[in-house]
Amino acid sequence: MSWVEIEFEGTTHRFAAVKTSEGVWIGWRGRAVFVPRETKDAARGIEEDTVRAPMTGKVVKVNATHGSRVREGDVLVILEAMKMEYRLAAPHDGIVEAVHCAEGQLVDLGKTLVTLSEEA
Amino acid sequence: MASALRKVLIANRGEIACRIMKTLREMRIPSVAVHSDVDAGAPHVWMADEAIEIGGPRSYLDVEKVLAAARSAGATAVHPGYGFLAENAGFAEACSAAGLVFVGPSPAAMRALGDKRSARQVAEQIGVPVVPGARECDTLEAAAAAAERVGYPILIKAAGGGGGKGMRRVASRDDLKEAFEGAERESRAAFADARLLVERYIHPARHVEVQILGGRDGAVALGERECSLQRRYQKVVEESPSPGITAGTRRAMCEAAVKLARAVGYTNAGTVEFLIGPDGAFYFLEVNTRLQVEHPVTEMVTGIDMVAAQIEIAAGGSAPSVPQPRGHAIEARLNSEDPYNQFLPASGKILMLEWPVRPSVRIDSGVREELDVLPYYDPLIAKLIAWASDREQARLRLMTALQDTTLLGLSTNQSFLIQLLESDSFVSGQTYTTTVESQTWEAPPVPEAVRHAARRLLTHRSERVGVDGVPLDRHSPWNTLGRFRMGV
Repeated sequence: MSWVEIEFEGTTHRFAAVKTSEGVWIGWRGRAVFVPRETKDAARGIEEDTVRAPMTGKVVKVNATHGSRVREGDVLVILEAMKMEYRLAAPHDGIVEAVHCAEGQLVDLGKTLVTLSEEA
Repeated sequence: MASALRKVLIANRGEIACRIMKTLREMRIPSVAVHSDVDAGAPHVWMADEAIEIGGPRSYLDVEKVLAAARSAGATAVHPGYGFLAENAGFAEACSAAGLVFVGPSPAAMRALGDKRSARQVAEQIGVPVVPGARECDTLEAAAAAAERVGYPILIKAAGGGGGKGMRRVASRDDLKEAFEGAERESRAAFADARLLVERYIHPARHVEVQILGGRDGAVALGERECSLQRRYQKVVEESPSPGITAGTRRAMCEAAVKLARAVGYTNAGTVEFLIGPDGAFYFLEVNTRLQVEHPVTEMVTGIDMVAAQIEIAAGGSAPSVPQPRGHAIEARLNSEDPYNQFLPASGKILMLEWPVRPSVRIDSGVREELDVLPYYDPLIAKLIAWASDREQARLRLMTALQDTTLLGLSTNQSFLIQLLESDSFVSGQTYTTTVESQTWEAPPVPEAVRHAARRLLTHRSERVGVDGVPLDRHSPWNTLGRFRMGV
């Protein structure tokens, strides 16, 4: 981790950078981005087809059923975590391939809750 | 020196625990930290004179565990911070019963003003204006009736607690049932208390609160803070003085706040929250019977150390005399969340952290480099507060401080805060409770130079030698070589 100086199109740019096994964090002027190493997922955009639990919490409502058609932004799962409700939405239009959770279930951070397939 | 507080246990964690300990250090009062097992490496643990592990992540809410720790460490007082047990009258009572001084208001004052219904009743009785509504709406029918009476849109709120939990805005009768049920569910989960009240939704409104301190000789008001910039009822940016009220309104609100404090014999720190309607009229909302997250803003314009004042009051002293406030202070809350993806909470290890060190910029942080930010607690990582002699200068100072902060390893709202401070709404001071949520916040494009840097860094095999001549490891002996280029 450190400050790096990179020459780009004739200008020297200074960034903060930390490499990890998954990619690199780069920071500049109050912004930070994570750039993953080139993998199949990274090329497509990470986790486009899944809705995962962003925190350990309790599933309070499941609005998705196997085979149902959803639109980007449709709320598929409502998770209660840290005393607030989080509405987890479909990342794109598609068909619900599988629902991996049930109302009342406690789920861990990162658990896949719903998987989607692309619209046929 | 406060003689009755010989050793203080902080029943909290994160930035507030660290902040409280800074004052205890200055007052030469030994501190005791409690921590959950997952917090073993947290800064507040290492800052304290003694630290006691009290169990799993939720232990900060466990009265018995906290009291047991106080007993075993020989603490004589407990500072509850904010959140957790800070507004739990039962905890305050348990402390007294255990012979510990509770650094906060009395249980009676907490009950009288901490409960939204009861506080509203006191306000009505002493002639402090309140938001039109109904104190008790525990059934859908009662809520519907109150809503018809005051007129939609309305706000359903939890009587037993704040922070936006159990709160729902309802535009019309059609939306009432779902909102009511959601509010009840959330309120029960957050406070084990499903009692609700209904208020007319005032819009556009400013949220302006008055800081009070009650001591042996009575209560004083330490000016106001504007906290309109909120997201899901969580404050994001706060400032003092408020850019949107007149001197007359300021005076009247401070008088109302002190009146409220005196009516219940309020001691120690508290905050009286008001809503300012579009007509400039102010309405009492509720009282927070604790030290608040945004208290540094008041400290910066008054020069008063509020934690020191709390300690002295808890030891039997008076509230400090209030100087004329000076200049302008603005605070930004840095959270572990992704502002461009529904503000979903983020967790992860802080891989790199550098704060700007500037005169007139204060940083209250609860993290350090290499710390794992966990999903168990609220996402507040740190507060940045800038002071200047006028508002625009304070805004520029805070923005610059945010731009010059480096935090890598997990998503934060850092870039969103900068966008917010740059926005027309903020620059003009036209800030309302709907300002943040009424705008879409989009990630600024990633400059090509950054993509290029990422590609170079990812393809470069060595960890030690940097790209284009600068070492990647800041503690590496390569740093002593100065600038050099390696095989281009």
